Amino acid sequence: MISKQFLRIDSSILRPLIALVVMSVALAFASESFATADNLFNVMRQVSVNLCISVGMTLVILTGGIDLSVGSILALSGAVAAGLIKSGISIEGANLHIGFTFFGVVVVALVIGGALGWFNGQMVTRFKVPPFIATLGMLTIARGLTMLYTNGHPITGLGESFEYLGTGWFCGVPMPVLVAALVVVLFALFMRKSPWGRYIYAIGGNERATRLSGIDVKRVKCFVYTVAGVLSAVAALIVTARLDSAQPNAGTGYELDSIAAVVIGGTSLNGGKGSVWGTVVGALIIGVLNNGLVLLNVSPFWQQVIKGLVILLAVVMDRMNAKDQQ
Amino acid sequence: MFRRLILWLMLAAAVLSSAGCAERSKATDSKRMAVVISTLNNPWFVLLAESAKARAEELGYEAVIFDSQNNSSKETEHFDNIIAAGYGAILFNPTDADGSVVNVKRAKEAEIPVFCMDREINARDVATCQILSDNYSGCVAIGKEFVRTVGREGKYAELLGLVGDNNTWNRSRGFHTVVDRFPGLKMVAQQSADFDRNTAMMVMESILQAHGDLVGVFCGNDAMAMGAYQAILAAGKADEIKIFGFDGERDVLNAIREGKIIATGMQSPVLMARTAAEFAHRYLTGDHNFPKKIPIAVQAVTRANVDQFNE
Repeated sequence: MISKQFLRIDSSILRPLIALVVMSVALAFASESFATADNLFNVMRQVSVNLCISVGMTLVILTGGIDLSVGSILALSGAVAAGLIKSGISIEGANLHIGFTFFGVVVVALVIGGALGWFNGQMVTRFKVPPFIATLGMLTIARGLTMLYTNGHPITGLGESFEYLGTGWFCGVPMPVLVAALVVVLFALFMRKSPWGRYIYAIGGNERATRLSGIDVKRVKCFVYTVAGVLSAVAALIVTARLDSAQPNAGTGYELDSIAAVVIGGTSLNGGKGSVWGTVVGALIIGVLNNGLVLLNVSPFWQQVIKGLVILLAVVMDRMNAKDQQ
Repeated sequence: MFRRLILWLMLAAAVLSSAGCAERSKATDSKRMAVVISTLNNPWFVLLAESAKARAEELGYEAVIFDSQNNSSKETEHFDNIIAAGYGAILFNPTDADGSVVNVKRAKEAEIPVFCMDREINARDVATCQILSDNYSGCVAIGKEFVRTVGREGKYAELLGLVGDNNTWNRSRGFHTVVDRFPGLKMVAQQSADFDRNTAMMVMESILQAHGDLVGVFCGNDAMAMGAYQAILAAGKADEIKIFGFDGERDVLNAIREGKIIATGMQSPVLMARTAAEFAHRYLTGDHNFPKKIPIAVQAVTRANVDQFNE
């Protein structure tokens, strides 16, 4: 009973889902290397980073907001995680050196992501800065802090536990995919089952009415930005582990990929309508498209044009859908 | 109320501190050099900027680094400020071969000499001297190393940098002038990975799915070579597929020492930056004769000679 409701598919995700299936079938015919187990694991591994970020982005967009800072938050939390596991913290005056275990590093990264997200939330709710501007500010701040922390140099060689997170398998599933799947299931359940999930939809539908019905809108909004920050940090751990290196310019442009995944997945930029599962489909469409265009050796110039067209097409379809319903 | 007060205080502090900066920079003298860099978002350019600054300081100048963040209009603002502040010379790494020309012209009108480092501008007689990395010849050398290592037969792939960048194509052309002479070597994939490590890994993973039987991959910079290596390692093909990069980054030099990557082109950001600073010094001490362009050679680094290139 529970699982039936949990998997219930609403109509807004039907179109992207059909698009995904059609694309995949077409690619399977066009390239014999597409529909192999190896390649499909590949696509899933590549999608896992964008997916983690996009789940957070979905929550933010459902409240009618936007988060442009996810890529920079990713870079900062990844760099700090890599720096700490490699060299720890030395306090020279006290002649003290603090080393970090893998789990210690994970906690620190998530706390940094959460704190920066919370700061975004405070800007939006307390100081009434429009989300676009507040997170645009954070985009620059977090990137600058990353440069300060790394001096512009990558941090490389992070040891076995990171290597396992990036390239290891658990019960036949690659670790990055497992992490992303956990994130998706957790938040899909959260959005459906918890009152807070309902509040998030309600705020995007009609913020004033939500506030008047006694819900603490500010707290819920601040929460979604914090979640977006934490999930950026989760994505940071995956990227860093996969590359065995934290790059100071990691995550540049990721906000656009994740907004694209959310929008292609049928979530409305005005908020209130959409779902985590839709975003999963959206992220998969982008992933399959990236993979397929390379498999077919399509010119890099055309790839950009095609990706843009797919995003536009998705929104046009969404608009037509909305018109039909009126 | 209290919150508003804090905001006003912060604003006031910001205004005052920037006013402080403006005041200090009014003192016009030729003992200061400006280092304008296209981006500090990449270790290679950080090294270029810091070496230029360090050499200028050794020569007794005060040097300030300006980051254009890959944005021509930001670069224009920097030039405005530098001209207004009356710097003695500009050590310049342009964001764009065409877009940056106008900035250099304005500096020339203000009689401030400009020395281009690494990247060129598409105009003659505007910059005092252009000290450039010879990407084309460097990649000819890499192409020769490629043929020597992988042989004259087989499939290979190429990872391009940003497709809108001059250097991407100079490198690609240099490589192909050698490799295209061997019809047995077939390029089965040519894809862009934006000079980025993570993108390169993803693109390489996909290429490996379509073509598991590659003998080599040529990458337009070292970050992409490292990304490609991660993908090839994960696919268990590190022994079969030979990887070639370009730039001479520390990570790749180590990888060459360990046999993970075959060769890279050693650009000399330090040499270019130091040369630029020294030329500026010569200019400011009265010598105004410079060649318009100085190409700085790019050496191929392999396992055989990698130990000469200690960081």
